[in-house]
Amino acid sequence: MSVNVANLSVAYRSRRGDVTAVDNVSFTLADGEIMGLAGESGSGKSTLGNALIYLDQRMKATGGTVTVDGRELPIADTRAMRPLRMTEVSLVPQYAMSALTPTRKIGQLITDLLKSHHVKDTREVLTEMQRRLELIGLTEGVLSKYSFELSGGMRQRVTIIMSTLLNPSLLIADEVTSALDVSTQRAVGEMLLEFRDRGYVKSVIAITHDLSILAQVADSIAIMYAGRLAEKASTEAIVNEPLHPYTQALIASLPEVGVRADQVTLTGIPGRPPSLADPPPGCRFRDRCPFAFDRCTQTPPFEEIKPGHHVACWKVSQERAAASGRPVVGQAAAEHAV
Amino acid sequence: MSESKAAAMPAPIGTVPVGPIGGTTVGRKHNDFIYYGLRNKKLIFGLGLELLLVLFAIIGPMIAKYGPQDFTGAQLQHPNGTYWLGTNTLGQDIFSQLANGIRESYLIGALGAVSAAVVGMALGFTAGWRGGILDEILQMITNIIVMLPSLVLLVVIGSYMTSKSILFEGIFIGLTTWPWVARAVRAQTFSLRSREFVEMAKLSGKRPVQIIVKDIAPNMASYLFLVVILLFGSSMLIAASYDFLGLGPTGTVSLGTMMNQAQSEAALLYHEWWWFIPPGAVLTAMVVALLVANVGLDEIFNPKLREQ
Repeated sequence: MSVNVANLSVAYRSRRGDVTAVDNVSFTLADGEIMGLAGESGSGKSTLGNALIYLDQRMKATGGTVTVDGRELPIADTRAMRPLRMTEVSLVPQYAMSALTPTRKIGQLITDLLKSHHVKDTREVLTEMQRRLELIGLTEGVLSKYSFELSGGMRQRVTIIMSTLLNPSLLIADEVTSALDVSTQRAVGEMLLEFRDRGYVKSVIAITHDLSILAQVADSIAIMYAGRLAEKASTEAIVNEPLHPYTQALIASLPEVGVRADQVTLTGIPGRPPSLADPPPGCRFRDRCPFAFDRCTQTPPFEEIKPGHHVACWKVSQERAAASGRPVVGQAAAEHAV
Repeated sequence: MSESKAAAMPAPIGTVPVGPIGGTTVGRKHNDFIYYGLRNKKLIFGLGLELLLVLFAIIGPMIAKYGPQDFTGAQLQHPNGTYWLGTNTLGQDIFSQLANGIRESYLIGALGAVSAAVVGMALGFTAGWRGGILDEILQMITNIIVMLPSLVLLVVIGSYMTSKSILFEGIFIGLTTWPWVARAVRAQTFSLRSREFVEMAKLSGKRPVQIIVKDIAPNMASYLFLVVILLFGSSMLIAASYDFLGLGPTGTVSLGTMMNQAQSEAALLYHEWWWFIPPGAVLTAMVVALLVANVGLDEIFNPKLREQ
């Protein structure tokens, strides 16, 4: 169990009080696991990703712990986190294409990076880097170029190379494929797989709205809704038998190959997610959920329904309890969660 | 402000036809600047004139026959073979005074420019990077310094000092002109610090000083370079005006003191042109050459200003 996030909450400071963008989120990642983190805009995916590496001035961690390789990350202490960035936890940002300083050559940027982490054996890292550049189809020539001399896709790949150069235990890939054409998306997805297989990164969290790319790349998928995790399970389970009503609606809203627009009209999920500034009590999907019942005014626990399949939904808990003949996970748990 | 635009936007070197020396990958940017620099008439003129004057400042005092304050005994001589630029009413050699004055002007210009640039950049980067309450405090200090009448301040400080050195005058000028640098640097830092490559630098575990030096400052390098040149010129002018008012360093002769003496002895009235024209003309040439070179450099750094 290389990454363990327990009850993590992250809030944005605002004049009208804190806005909790990530609320009591817990999950674990095994060594070598690629977890997709999906959800709609504003669901807190990127906030969660950023919180694991860099809390900026507007953000604060309001609770919870993050453990990587048995070592707790001091995520609230930005100074103590500094040496761990890119060595333990690394992030490929949403804006990977514009993340390279325009006034320095790629090679200089990399030397700066090694210097700031006091890497002694620079030569070995640089040889390793050349191997990786070749692996993704770039030549050594990029090192003597400025970022604006490269194409968008090349810059993106260079950024990924730089983020993974120091072999971090956890890589957070935030929307790495969203600005690319489909074939490049595929290539970047395969690059993540390749890097994982070769052990350059231990585990990956891939944040995206694009469930179809996750289906190809991820081992497991976590679905986030309004700051909370709704469901986490293996990719097959999420795609083939999603349990949470929100996941079901998400999967149902995807187009299928071979189905034409005149045969089936694509459906969305009616309604909008609640405001996180003052969220309603209980399940946050309640207002949009076709199965909502009175129990849903209490916060559902994020429960392991089957091995490796976590869901936060009263309906699912109840059905499972009915099937197994055991009582529903008690009122106590619900009150605890509230 | 064209130079700040140049700073914010890196020159798209790859797209500009680079000429005979282009085409190599390594050191292309460097060559590019030299290529355009050698073809810029303003830069060649300004830099050439400035170099001549600097050369004169170095060699002049060596070849001068008298010390700048020596009395030669020959008063009010027209320029001739012995006294190349004539003498003044006290019998001092104008050429010797001029050569010494230019040297002093350059010294004060350098001192003023360096101290203003150091203070201005330090406060500008700090205020722009940190923001918040620290920025407010630094902005307040900056505004106070802007409001201070530096001439009055110099009179007040000067009245407590028995003698003033060139070092004092240079640093005094630097410490009263830095606010403009600080403001511009702060504004640029504010805009640059939210750029994505700076965010990435933070994510990669770099320390703030490193980010400022390696990621932020290079993006305004051309502005910083040009502002130092402008400060250099303005420091020389300010020094000359202080000296003209008799507030300058004691015990030396500068261009300003020469003009002060010429004025108080009514040289203009008696048509003693060799006394006041050389310092005035040389000072003008020094500053104009710098400004012309500055415009030329601006054109080189900013591709939009380049003549096609």
